[in-house]
Amino acid sequence: MISTGINGLDEMVGGGIPKNGRVLYSLDPGVDGRLFMISALSSALAQGTSCLVILPHTTVEAFGNDAARMHGTGLDSAPKQPVFLDTIDRERIQKLGPSQEARKREWVRRIQKVCRENQVEVIFAYFDLLYEDFGLETGLEILESARNSGASTYILELLNFDGAPLLERFVRDFSFDLVLRARSSLHPLPQFTYFTLVHTSWSPNYCRSVPFSISEGRVVPYVPKILVTGPPGSGKSTFVTSACRNEGEEDTGVTCRNGKDQEIDFCWLRWNDFDITIYGTPGHTASDPLVPPSFKRAMGVVLVIDATRPGLLSSARQLIEKVTVHLTPLVIAANKSDLPGSMDEQEIRKSLGIPADIPVFAISAIRKPDVRFVLESLVDSITQVS
Amino acid sequence: MYSYKTGIALIDEVSGGFDAGINVLILAPAMSYADQLAYTLAKPLQGEYAIVLSTNERAAEVIDAFKLAGADKRFTGVIDAITKSSTPGIMDTQRMMFVSSPTDLTGIGIKFSNMIETIFEGDFSEGETGLFPPPIRLCVNSISTLLMYRRLEVLYQFLHVLIAKLKKIEGVGIYLLNSESFDDKTLSLIKQLMNCVIEVKLENNISYLRIQGIPGVSGDWRKFTVTKGQVILFE
Repeated sequence: MISTGINGLDEMVGGGIPKNGRVLYSLDPGVDGRLFMISALSSALAQGTSCLVILPHTTVEAFGNDAARMHGTGLDSAPKQPVFLDTIDRERIQKLGPSQEARKREWVRRIQKVCRENQVEVIFAYFDLLYEDFGLETGLEILESARNSGASTYILELLNFDGAPLLERFVRDFSFDLVLRARSSLHPLPQFTYFTLVHTSWSPNYCRSVPFSISEGRVVPYVPKILVTGPPGSGKSTFVTSACRNEGEEDTGVTCRNGKDQEIDFCWLRWNDFDITIYGTPGHTASDPLVPPSFKRAMGVVLVIDATRPGLLSSARQLIEKVTVHLTPLVIAANKSDLPGSMDEQEIRKSLGIPADIPVFAISAIRKPDVRFVLESLVDSITQVS
Repeated sequence: MYSYKTGIALIDEVSGGFDAGINVLILAPAMSYADQLAYTLAKPLQGEYAIVLSTNERAAEVIDAFKLAGADKRFTGVIDAITKSSTPGIMDTQRMMFVSSPTDLTGIGIKFSNMIETIFEGDFSEGETGLFPPPIRLCVNSISTLLMYRRLEVLYQFLHVLIAKLKKIEGVGIYLLNSESFDDKTLSLIKQLMNCVIEVKLENNISYLRIQGIPGVSGDWRKFTVTKGQVILFE
């Protein structure tokens, strides 16, 4: 196994990348996911693996500086130094003329020569320009040729403008073993990045999305947090309980006490490939100071109101102001909407003074499908690709 | 919705400026003052920010040009695709970021996102004005250079994504393209991405422009010059 260099990712894929594997790190435009490749490279070098890095877009020196800055430690501190083919090689190959066949032969010759002379085991290739120069099939054939010279594993980074259909081709037509897509959305503002394990050949149907941040040269996966808040007695605990209860499954929700002896509900659930933690804020006014700090790392907020108690909407309005300061996606769950005398959506919107882009759902918090629908809508608004 | 003043009375008096989310192509021959025109349209006014993607000039030169145009450099950021090839060790700052070359669309996209994030988080400069979303003018100087390094189809996809993001954050985009260096198919494809085209031509060493795509604004050719960050149109 070759470690991905990211602990959380290694755990997700069962320890790392199998030898002889084909790996694709697909980056959606604008997503800072370059550390996936750099981390894997650093990790392979630290293990003493002989690596070739193909950089058609930049020079060795500029890449070395970027890698050191991104990862915190320079590649030159690794026990094993990589070998490179860089933009200068590409320029020389381009000068061979318009014949794609001639240029392909030269790429293959250079890669095989470097691999043979250095007993290269793993190739790291920035694939954009090979893809552009030769197309997908021929570009991959060029890399495949290295297998004849002993380099049995290759790991690609690609700027992906074509989305899921292109990734399907890598899996279906070219038998890639691991395909990871780094993506982003502009919500919560300004950017929320996450990766999706689209495919792992040794773990079929293993599709999972995990948000990540970049911190001190590391990719740090984290569990998204959704906050359920609302005025006292609006049904927050009921909402959280319904969210996590699965028929025939163990209840994943708990209620615990914080240091101030206040009850906090939370639960876990799996939704749209995300593992999500749902927190309920304490309901009593004495706990109000706790509420704003809890918004800070929330990726979405469900504001539960009691549709039969208009008198409580003033405190709901205050909560909305606190949420919108952080520009966190917000949905309103109007609980007890099935009871006589409950307010309709228009009345709720008017009383809360909310714009049309904040959805209001008429629900009953004791009905699990209602609660799940609210959460699904919120997760969609968080993860919608810009 | 926010309106971006252009400094061109013809536009500002009719429509109040460029609407948020609009993309403007400046189609111009070489040496027609088109880059000065672009910088003038892209310079940040009070409370605004500018991001310049420069494939032709170094970051320091861009900042100087903006200062000459009367812009506050504290609110101007540059993504420089030139300097790194000769100075590989150059470090990014909040307002100057460097990519290895104009081929590096991955790097350009990431630096653009990072700069937007810095602006939204209020870390771009001291004296943030608190407008939200922060008004951002993007200037790409130039699409012509990017087309020399990447295929048209790839660049089209890249610009499409860039424009979608800009629209989402309610920014405005100014893009320069040399009208003499590319075939009709290229010009037509790039125009498809835009809401407004400002064509520039040179006759007897005099620059003319015409504006297309802004309702109520005449599409006639007008003589113009750019002086100290002001676009002056003549009858």
